[in-house]
Amino acid sequence: MSLDTDNRTDTDRGQRPLHAGNSRGTWLESVLVPSSLRILGAAGVLWAVATLAFFTMRLVPGDPVDALLGGPGNNATEAVRHATRELNGLNEPLLVQYSAYLSRLVTGNLGDSYQLREPVAQVLGEQLGGTLVLAILALVSAWILALGLALWAAHGGKTATLVGNLLEIISAAVPHFWLGSLLILVFSVGLQWLPATSGAPGFEGLLLPVLTLAIPLAGFLGQVLRESMLSAMKSPFAISARARGESEASVSLRHALRHAALGGIGLSGWAMGSLISGAVVVETVFSRPGIGRTLLQSVLVRDVPVVLGVVVLVAVVYIFVTLLSDLAERLADPRLRDR
Amino acid sequence: MTNRQPAYRGKPKSPTSSLVDQCVMATRKNSLHRTFLAFAMLGALLALTACNGAVRVDPASVVTKEPVSGGTLVYATGDNEPACLDPIVSGNVPQALVASQYLEPLFFQYESGEIGPWLAKSWKWSEDRLALDITVRQDVTFTDGQQLNAETIVENIAYIKDPKTLSSTGILAVEKVDSVEKVSEFTARLNLSTPDNALLEHFAQIWVPIQSQKALARGAEANCLAPVGTGPFKVDSWAKQQEIVLSRNADYHTPAPTAGNSGPAYLTKVIWRFLPDHAARFAALQSGEVDVIDVLQPQNAVAADADPALETLIGSRPGHVVNLTLNTRTGPLTDVRVREAFVRSVDVGAALKSIFMDTVPRSNSVLSSITKFNRQDPEAYSTDIERANRLLDEAGWNARDSEGYRTKNGERLSTTVIQNNAVLVPVSVLEQFQHSAKAVGFELVISQEESASFSARRFAWDYGLSPLYYTKNSPSVLNIVYDSANISSVIKGGYHANNNGLTGPAANAIDKSLRLAATTGNEMKRAEHYEPAQRLIDKQYLSLPIFDQQTRLGFRSDVEGVKLLSPLGMPTFYDTWLDRS
Amino acid sequence: MTQSIQTSHSRISSVQDQPADGPVTEDGSVRRKSRLPASGIGAGIILPLLLLIGLAAAAVLPSVLAPSGPLDMNPAEAFSSPSAAHWFGTDESGRDVFSRVIHGARSSLLIGVLATVIGLGLALLFGTVAGLGTRAVDFAVSRFLEVLFAFPGLLLALLVITILGPGIVTTTIAVGLSAAPGYARMIRSQVLSVRRSGYVEASIVQGRSRAFIFRNHILPNVSAPLFVLATLGVGQAIVWASSLSFLGLGATPPHPEWGSMLSLGRLYIGNAWWLTVFPGLFIVLSATTTTLLGHGIQRKLKDK
Repeated sequence: MSLDTDNRTDTDRGQRPLHAGNSRGTWLESVLVPSSLRILGAAGVLWAVATLAFFTMRLVPGDPVDALLGGPGNNATEAVRHATRELNGLNEPLLVQYSAYLSRLVTGNLGDSYQLREPVAQVLGEQLGGTLVLAILALVSAWILALGLALWAAHGGKTATLVGNLLEIISAAVPHFWLGSLLILVFSVGLQWLPATSGAPGFEGLLLPVLTLAIPLAGFLGQVLRESMLSAMKSPFAISARARGESEASVSLRHALRHAALGGIGLSGWAMGSLISGAVVVETVFSRPGIGRTLLQSVLVRDVPVVLGVVVLVAVVYIFVTLLSDLAERLADPRLRDR
Repeated sequence: MTNRQPAYRGKPKSPTSSLVDQCVMATRKNSLHRTFLAFAMLGALLALTACNGAVRVDPASVVTKEPVSGGTLVYATGDNEPACLDPIVSGNVPQALVASQYLEPLFFQYESGEIGPWLAKSWKWSEDRLALDITVRQDVTFTDGQQLNAETIVENIAYIKDPKTLSSTGILAVEKVDSVEKVSEFTARLNLSTPDNALLEHFAQIWVPIQSQKALARGAEANCLAPVGTGPFKVDSWAKQQEIVLSRNADYHTPAPTAGNSGPAYLTKVIWRFLPDHAARFAALQSGEVDVIDVLQPQNAVAADADPALETLIGSRPGHVVNLTLNTRTGPLTDVRVREAFVRSVDVGAALKSIFMDTVPRSNSVLSSITKFNRQDPEAYSTDIERANRLLDEAGWNARDSEGYRTKNGERLSTTVIQNNAVLVPVSVLEQFQHSAKAVGFELVISQEESASFSARRFAWDYGLSPLYYTKNSPSVLNIVYDSANISSVIKGGYHANNNGLTGPAANAIDKSLRLAATTGNEMKRAEHYEPAQRLIDKQYLSLPIFDQQTRLGFRSDVEGVKLLSPLGMPTFYDTWLDRS
Repeated sequence: MTQSIQTSHSRISSVQDQPADGPVTEDGSVRRKSRLPASGIGAGIILPLLLLIGLAAAAVLPSVLAPSGPLDMNPAEAFSSPSAAHWFGTDESGRDVFSRVIHGARSSLLIGVLATVIGLGLALLFGTVAGLGTRAVDFAVSRFLEVLFAFPGLLLALLVITILGPGIVTTTIAVGLSAAPGYARMIRSQVLSVRRSGYVEASIVQGRSRAFIFRNHILPNVSAPLFVLATLGVGQAIVWASSLSFLGLGATPPHPEWGSMLSLGRLYIGNAWWLTVFPGLFIVLSATTTTLLGHGIQRKLKDK
């Protein structure tokens, strides 16, 4: 990940420092036109994601009718199974089902969950909040942890750098479910400080899940931050700042950190994806309701409408985040506008 | 005849339980290894935290106290979340667990198998046993104000029979009921197509509960969210994928005959949470976040028995035991000698002793130890390597391949077992079976499936062995899972209750005694027919019984009066109170 | 957003103040002076390399290092805590955990390496096509990658596993596939930045073919970061595969694999901590080692 931002800026800085002036032309052309193109592209991506998910779910073995009948392992007779299929339009030809699905999707209707017998939109609405809170808190904590560690390492000399680096790499290498289990063992079962599940209201129940999700992410962010900060600290503007008599701390805070944070924007799409995948595991370990657990459950029981709903939701969020970060990058970095 | 295994509580506490010993040893031994200093430190830390729970001091000596009314009990279930809270729709164990708190059936079945009144006051069979008159209690109202009467029965059975209801278990129960009519205000008559001596047993299960006809009239969708019954609690709200809130039924006056209470329940509320992860659920119990958990894992039962703050309550459920069913339709298992050889080659006892830490007794019968007429036959299912080898030699699997497996005509003696964690046979048990089967040259391939593909393979007969069980409070469960009439499903790949697929003369003999057993009106005769039926089933080695299905509860020691309700062994919290003053 | 604009302006203006700080070589690339102490680089590579060689030895010759077979059972000795006879204790069937961890190195490392190869192979294909193709091709491929990207990686893996059935091969494919879009993006931007550099533009002016440009300019410039990506990716792939095992979708038993050992051991965490701790430590150790190696090489490359 660090390579992405690093190398582009290195080469660009080396080769095209004066190019910025060329594309200054009209802001409209350089930002708005490509952006509207991207929005069109985004709609296409959304359609492709929904289509891909729809047909992939057909390849999955197992009968979605089981989800309608209380999950796999139900004792429903064939007559009941047939009636259920009939009731839910599962006997229709595939293409008829697909076009029905698409036309519903266009109007924003995600259908009803097979297993929960509720509109998918309602299911997702109920579950989204928990996951968002978890993900945002984890993202914020990860940034705090990563920044803290990076700053400490940058100023603590060689040993601190080494230890900081090692800590980041190790935390990035820890599987979520392992970390979560160890945290439960120590803090819930051993010390009895914090609840093991998120059923308890308030912030207490969130602490362990957030930490579990944040620590590996902090490891990644820390590595990216450190790389960009190191290169920024050595960059000409840092040198000139030093020459102007700014302190080392001020240089790192005012210049290097900002530079590094810019690299972080580009990572936000990736970080979101990783948070959702992490949420599946963390929500399972802590038996916490949320989108991740819903997704896993619905794939396992073949609750097709919910799987498709989650896929579309995640895609929308992802596209939105990417568009925003892209726009931010374009506005921030004129050299990117020509592409 | 009866080999009852009543619900039992965990072993008495002893200050030096094996777990504590183990932990202390682990800490000591580790610190001796200098080369593993880092590991040892971490290990010691973990061992200490793991043991902290085990050596806490008993808070107070147990004194019998007056039950205290009030309080909220948090129950965390490890079973799936039901799709519908009305157990008529579908009809599975997760529904039975929760529905036992707010619904009640017509009859009560004692642990002896005897049928007694509950919501029904009395019943009377006709001479030809084709009509059953049921008279209900006159003093019962549902929590929505509707009075229980003859029409309630008419409407309930109509609801079960309505194809739109999508009933699975309930509809099988009333299969032989042709029509229902109101005889008088409180008496209804059930007309049967053929005699069914399990009918009263069916009406004693929570899968055929009696619900308010006013509530049923709301339609399946509304009824699924909040069924209305006569139980000690009623459904308040259901936040899907999170919890169901049950509140006390203030007018309750129909306790089961075995209850130790009368009038409303002690608890004001029961919160029914879904915590499917075994480790998290037990951790939640240990830290006091929840008061009761089910699907208590054996290793956690050991830990709970060593912890003064926790108690366990484990009881068998009736029906077809947890077993490996052998598919006789294809492959080497078509030969009964190969089937017996497989059964003889594995050591169920050793697996239960190690993996389940000796907390789960083995079953030697296809019927649960609390199901009427169960016939334990330790000899038929004992480990006998010599016999296994001899049988395989006889069956012509004489040659060996390079890996040491037996072959016949160049083909390896091999079969596949499908596995899913929800079906109670952990993969480690199968690994041990695999290991011991290999010793006689039998290859057992383990195929881990997620639940949907597990049923897909089961429906398509795509397995050699499949872990299975069937919960039912009647020996007639054998008619469901062993009658060869239940092999076929209407379409290919559909559900079939019979999973061994045996046909031919041996199957005909089994069918014959099962059908005789199911129709006789005489309990003695019923016993006489189920005995040879089981003998025939055992002799064909159609399944390897492993252990009884169980209700396994762990709870905080300050939760008093946790009980299991006959006949399904479901937990009931009617007598439960919290000692937290 | 405003802050980042200011940041980049200040950066650009300072860049303009002081142009590129190295001599420009004949092919047009910039040679930079080393600013890192040389001593740190050696240790940064050698130490993880030694550890990795140890793990690789376990993977190649497990029977030499392990005291017993990975499948040797002794139910009577189940759940023995670590001792001189069983360094890492025994599991629920009395198998020696140390031996299983050693034997598990093979599948875990193999999954890590092969998944990365699959991911990077696909990524190289898509990334290069997008980076070198016309605008339309780039647009199409980028959108396709975006479609894959918009699928959460775990969902992609889940679907692959539910369709193909669980097992080591499936896990490998699933992890590789879900990592591919990320790699492809990085490679694309790598290719783009090389393409936009002066010497590629010069080659285009000289009328060189795309193949020539790819062979002589793109590949040499992309392969080094690719290698770094690979070493970084192996560790992540191992962690990923273990997460799939945790969700019950991993390696098939009784095959020793760290992830599935761990997910089973987690059930016994209160009774037998060694079942959880040791396989977990090895996952962390191997992922850390490969990452360290990746960083070491990355630094060394940058230094040149």
